[in-house]
Amino acid sequence: MTSNALCFGDEFPAAGAPCSVQVDGDGLTVTFKSEGGDGAREVVPFSALTLSAGGLDHDHLVVKWTSAQGERTLYLKSPDVIRAFRETVPDHLGLPFAQAAERVRQVRHRRRLVWGLVGGVILATVLGLWSGADLLVELAVSRIPVEWEQKLGESAYRDFLTHQEVMKDGPAVTALGEMTQRLTEQIPNNPYKFEVAVVKSDVVNAFALPGGYVVVFTGLMKKAESGEEVAGVLSHELNHVLQRHGLERIVKSLGLLTVVAIVLGDQQGLVGMMKQLGVELLTLKFGREQETEADLTGLQLLQRAKIDPSGMIRFFERLSEKDEGRMEWLSTHPMSTARAERLKAEFAALPKKSPEPFTFDWKQVQASLGSQPVAVP
Amino acid sequence: MKSEILYPGAFPMVRVDLAAGEHIKAESGAMVACSPTIDIESKMEGGLLGALSRKFLTGEKFFFQTLRASRGPGEALLAPTVPGEIVILELDGVNEYMVQKDGFLAGADTIVIESKMQSLSRGLLGGEGFFILKISGKGTLVLNSFGAIHKIELKPDQEYIVDNSHLVAWSTTTSYNIEKATSGWVASFTSGEGFVCRFRGPGLVYIQSRNPGSFGAWIRQFIPVSE
Ligand SMILES: [Zn+2]
Repeated sequence: MTSNALCFGDEFPAAGAPCSVQVDGDGLTVTFKSEGGDGAREVVPFSALTLSAGGLDHDHLVVKWTSAQGERTLYLKSPDVIRAFRETVPDHLGLPFAQAAERVRQVRHRRRLVWGLVGGVILATVLGLWSGADLLVELAVSRIPVEWEQKLGESAYRDFLTHQEVMKDGPAVTALGEMTQRLTEQIPNNPYKFEVAVVKSDVVNAFALPGGYVVVFTGLMKKAESGEEVAGVLSHELNHVLQRHGLERIVKSLGLLTVVAIVLGDQQGLVGMMKQLGVELLTLKFGREQETEADLTGLQLLQRAKIDPSGMIRFFERLSEKDEGRMEWLSTHPMSTARAERLKAEFAALPKKSPEPFTFDWKQVQASLGSQPVAVP
Repeated sequence: MKSEILYPGAFPMVRVDLAAGEHIKAESGAMVACSPTIDIESKMEGGLLGALSRKFLTGEKFFFQTLRASRGPGEALLAPTVPGEIVILELDGVNEYMVQKDGFLAGADTIVIESKMQSLSRGLLGGEGFFILKISGKGTLVLNSFGAIHKIELKPDQEYIVDNSHLVAWSTTTSYNIEKATSGWVASFTSGEGFVCRFRGPGLVYIQSRNPGSFGAWIRQFIPVSE
């Protein structure tokens, strides 16, 4: 006979003695397993039993009685035995039995309800994300501390730089250092420690990683006609960081998973996951609204730093002209004449400030780049 | 499946003998060495994100491998990642255990492993995550721990309080409530989340003598913050 219950009592092991329970008209017959077949047998009348629900999920029927050997507790889970119980149990036990069964149902019901609710909230969040509710993305992003963002951006940044020729010094590095200094001085309560690397490459591009890591390619510096043009691009990139655009894109593209992870507080796992995706950060495309936001806040930052914003506008205008050919900045920054127009209008609306020129001579900076061997990407 | 613990103590291994055609489930990464007759099947369907989302959402056991003696009888040596004891339990078909997912090392193919969703409060506070393994059926179950494994035997209605990060496995005949740790317990929590489980018998509770989270925190203090 196969066991269908566990019996607990003083002389039994703590894990319970496997036994077989049979229900008949008068009560229970409990048969204990022993080596070589069935062993001791106990017959207990219904009148001696008390019933309740128990176990981890309240899904066991707990049957207690006092036998000649002492207190006995039986844990039953087999649906067959429980059904037999329900059918034959006499009236005086009927009520507690019904109560026990009801409790099992309630616990299961409540658990389903809670998880249903959680599932509903998650589903609503996901649907919200998919239908472009940026508010939820921003909410999720705002819960990510700057330190993680830095950790995440830094690993991608260092990875990227190991495969690149980074300029350590020279007029170009000094010039970018001056621009960065002038811009970042004007950022109130700046939580980021910006790092700007000049990478030797003919690529006409610059990009920013979450956490304040910015890369400017020498190709872009050669293409720019003044320091103010480069400063415009730099200001735009810094504002991608300040507005946490990279993080927003990650949360948006990972959607559900990230939101769940953040909601559940498993933020350690999130960092690991984002590290896996670190490479994808480099090819991250920002959305149209993010570009516009970075343009406008970039413009304002230039204005505060007393760097002539018309450089930024001029550079954008030149980029959007067809005869400039294919430029990489376009691939990560969808460009349109409308963008430059918008900046112009915005600039016109700003109070006029007299710009302060940079201390370096841009032609000399460019000359220093031209004399160096240029790595082909 | 026949199994034997080699080098009992902090750095044990378990040797599992498989008959031809027999297969067992093992934690992925548990395999140390095996006979050439044994094939390892580990599937992580849907790639990393798929596996992760299944882990988060359904608790699917993507971290298992199947070791199959497809080309004749053979043996496999299995070891856990962390230093600590291994215990072998023979399930009798009636006893069922809940096992926190790092506690499972291997099991016969006759045992049934389900990923179970915990109640929300237990999942949030219990520290074992939202999914734990429910193991039933008949056959060999191999558990591992961080540190030594200690067995607590509970009589009906007997209570015992356990720091949740020390839990390895417990019978489903027990029940427990999550409680906020009183000040005396807080010393063992470096994470600041002071929760303990108040278990109520009957049944068995297996605990581990070391707390992985605290150990991690202790190690961390020796690691320089930046490179
Ligand atoms: Zn941009």
